[in-house]
Amino acid sequence: MSIYDFTAKTNSGEEKSLGDYKGKVLIIVNTASKCGFTPQYQELQELYDEYKAKGLEILGFPCNQFGAQEPGSNEEVQTFCRRNYGVSFQIFAKGDVRGETAHPLFQYLTREKKFEGFDEAHPIAAKLTEALKANFPEYLEGDGIKWNFTKFLIDREGNVVKRFEPTTTPKGMKEDIEKLL
Amino acid sequence: MVKVYSISNCPWCDKVKKYLKSKQVEFTECNIEVDEAALDECRKLTDDDAVPVTTADGKNFVLGFDKAKLDALLGLSS
Repeated sequence: MSIYDFTAKTNSGEEKSLGDYKGKVLIIVNTASKCGFTPQYQELQELYDEYKAKGLEILGFPCNQFGAQEPGSNEEVQTFCRRNYGVSFQIFAKGDVRGETAHPLFQYLTREKKFEGFDEAHPIAAKLTEALKANFPEYLEGDGIKWNFTKFLIDREGNVVKRFEPTTTPKGMKEDIEKLL
Repeated sequence: MVKVYSISNCPWCDKVKKYLKSKQVEFTECNIEVDEAALDECRKLTDDDAVPVTTADGKNFVLGFDKAKLDALLGLSS
């Protein structure tokens, strides 16, 4: 089983094989569906602009399993949604990324790279943990996706190299991306 | 008349609408994903693409779901 064996529907409805991305460095990320932890969209786009020519592709999978729940009412958490995702990388059709209904790709990714905790230094970490405890305590168990913007980094051979929790910003992945390019 | 600019599948838009209803505020809703004239209006007002946007006079507005700001904008008592 390899990452290249999976297919997924794009947001325009066509079935795309991940085999089309052979030889590229990939970031596979579950995104918020237009709402929530949105600054990461912009940072992902910045990574894409910077590294696309060197062979980076970003695959975004919108999911609203976490969408309507806010991890706190502070300034970092936005209380609005955007009309457009405002990004030029590939967005796939909306679907589930955790539980029995999760896209098989995410079942594979979370088996390959387990949950190793949030980066407690990130300002949102404590609030996120609190919100999960209050609203989705079962999400804290096991290796499933915890929240929007969990990022998986894939090398040019299709190996799942690293998992970054929502508490690592896309910019914080730069060193690891550069190693693979 | 109070106007709420929204998009589909937007939990924050739903929260604003629900809140206004709970305060017996009458409003019209404009979905900027389907109504291009409303999209233009909303963009001119906020210089952005984000919703929900609530306005009463087409000049002052609140972006997002923020009860305190909505109360202030619409003169509601909390």
